[in-house]
Amino acid sequence: MSLPKITRLPSVRLLSSIHQQLLLPSIPPLTGPKRAVSQGEYRRPGQPKVDKFPWQPINFGFSKGFEGVKKHFALLKKEFSDRWVGPQGKPILEHMLEQNQVLWEFRGPESLEQWTVSSDQEIGGQSEVHLKLGKNHNTCLLYGTLSSTPPRDGETRYSGYCTMRSKQPLASFDRKKHYDWSSFNTLHLRVRGDGRPWMINIATETYFSHQKDDIYNYFLYTRGGPYWQDVKIPFSKFFLTHRGRIQDDQHPLWLDKVNTIGFTLGDKADGPFQLEIDFVGVCKDYAHTEEFAYEVYKRNPEI
Amino acid sequence: MNPYILATLLFGLGLGTTITFASSHWLLAWMGLEMNTLAIIPLMAQHHHPRAVEATTKYFLTQATAAAMLLFASTTNAWLTGQWDIQQMTHPLPITLITLALALKIGLAPVHSWLPEVLQGLDLTTGLILSTWQKLAPFALLLQIQPVNSSILIALGLLSTLVGGWGGLNQTQLRKILAYSSIAHLGWMILVLQFSPSLTLLTLLTYFVMTFSTFLVFKLNKSTSINMLATSWAKAPALTALAPLVLLSLGGLPPLTGFMPKWLILQELAKQDLAPTATLAAMSALLSLYFYLRLSYAMTLTMSPNNLTGTTPWRLQSSQLTLPLAISTLATLLLLPLTPAAVALLTL
Repeated sequence: MSLPKITRLPSVRLLSSIHQQLLLPSIPPLTGPKRAVSQGEYRRPGQPKVDKFPWQPINFGFSKGFEGVKKHFALLKKEFSDRWVGPQGKPILEHMLEQNQVLWEFRGPESLEQWTVSSDQEIGGQSEVHLKLGKNHNTCLLYGTLSSTPPRDGETRYSGYCTMRSKQPLASFDRKKHYDWSSFNTLHLRVRGDGRPWMINIATETYFSHQKDDIYNYFLYTRGGPYWQDVKIPFSKFFLTHRGRIQDDQHPLWLDKVNTIGFTLGDKADGPFQLEIDFVGVCKDYAHTEEFAYEVYKRNPEI
Repeated sequence: MNPYILATLLFGLGLGTTITFASSHWLLAWMGLEMNTLAIIPLMAQHHHPRAVEATTKYFLTQATAAAMLLFASTTNAWLTGQWDIQQMTHPLPITLITLALALKIGLAPVHSWLPEVLQGLDLTTGLILSTWQKLAPFALLLQIQPVNSSILIALGLLSTLVGGWGGLNQTQLRKILAYSSIAHLGWMILVLQFSPSLTLLTLLTYFVMTFSTFLVFKLNKSTSINMLATSWAKAPALTALAPLVLLSLGGLPPLTGFMPKWLILQELAKQDLAPTATLAAMSALLSLYFYLRLSYAMTLTMSPNNLTGTTPWRLQSSQLTLPLAISTLATLLLLPLTPAAVALLTL
């Protein structure tokens, strides 16, 4: 009874069945990958359970392909024709005289497509964050709840953060494009917060893989209240961090290849939060002549 | 930088080029090129900014690839012909490989993509060394091999002039503009390499003088983008008056020196029955001229009403050396009447 059935078969049939098993190994029906195969043995809390093959969610439809081809070739044609107008698509006079440039303003649902929100739910925490358009489609509202309960995965000690980050601009055929802010020196935002201290992150284009998480940060102290707050932060004040840790070897932020900008909240205070943003722009402040606010020194100077 | 280290590196740069000039064995020439690469690497990375390190890495990788291709081609030549002499290459395969390797070394299209990024990551002095001195050694080698496959050189040359013109149109950073101008000028030099190598040398030397002047103009103004250049009228009015002439000389307009190489090259191409090539090259020079004119316009022909985003005028060092700039500007602007002498020297 506890013995497997195969031992009761006569030896001839045993041999033939083994022969059959070797010739036709049993293939399990194609339902989907087991979690162990696709995610590894341990699924981090916060990661969704994967029961599909990686290619199954992709839409291989013809209309999607056709729309994609049209979009990318239109972008390519625009890139070619922009050069005749002037550098970076603007006439040279406009480029020289430009003092303010509004980069992100929230005037319609498509402006929300340029932003990505995330929170510590990705590592299994319990904060929530949502992004929606404000009243009259004039502003965007980032709201949610922070919860600093760490996820119970045995290795995370702190938690409770939410962030909103702009998506990297893409040229035709999904090539990366960068913002060139070298004619400007100040970041100008109009926000209405709730008194919480936010952090602004600017990520530039890097080359080495170990520089992937190099981000330049500065603080954004919001004053709660019904009045709008104009915040102007010179780019010379941004300091370099890597994965949130401030680096010793600081250098100024180079403005000619900026990829993304983001806002992060992680002030260890549980509860609801909201931040309303009217616009994010850059401007040229003539009175600001500082190149870098922090000391750039050699740690081992030769004497 | 420590003056001893700086002296060593500059000496190494000089030695590398000299070794390549003086060599008749391929391995010695390769060694000179490698010395040049290695000596300039610390100079490029001396400001420990990630962009400088990125530029250094990209430069090293491309130059090392080119040097490896060169070594491979010279080894193949030694295998096929039994000798290592530079001037006696006869087999077409190593010649083509060496041409491509040297094209990668100097930054001709279609292997030009590294040059704008690398120049953008450097400060203006190191960029000057990269644009001028580092081109001498590869050209010394290119001038000595006799290429049998004419179409590859014409293709490289035409593509470079077109890409150099087209790529510079979209730029606002001065170092990238100078990179694309370098690509275009190198294209002109390569076009005529097989017909008259001494004309290539003349173009190279003229390009050196013009680029030297341009880099020094930008260095004096401490400007790295068009907007910073637009306020140079307040810093150095005499320079602002001369700089558009320097830029137009780069664009190849008579009666400035830059016209001389272009004129002689077009004449040579017409003599060789390559009139369509000559026409295409001349038209692509118009693209380059457009962005030189744009720079002249931004600098001199408009009075920019706003201040700069860089250093304010009174913080500029007033003790910058202007003598090299004065001499090279004179040479950039006034040497066209020496064309008959140049032609006479060419036939030597």
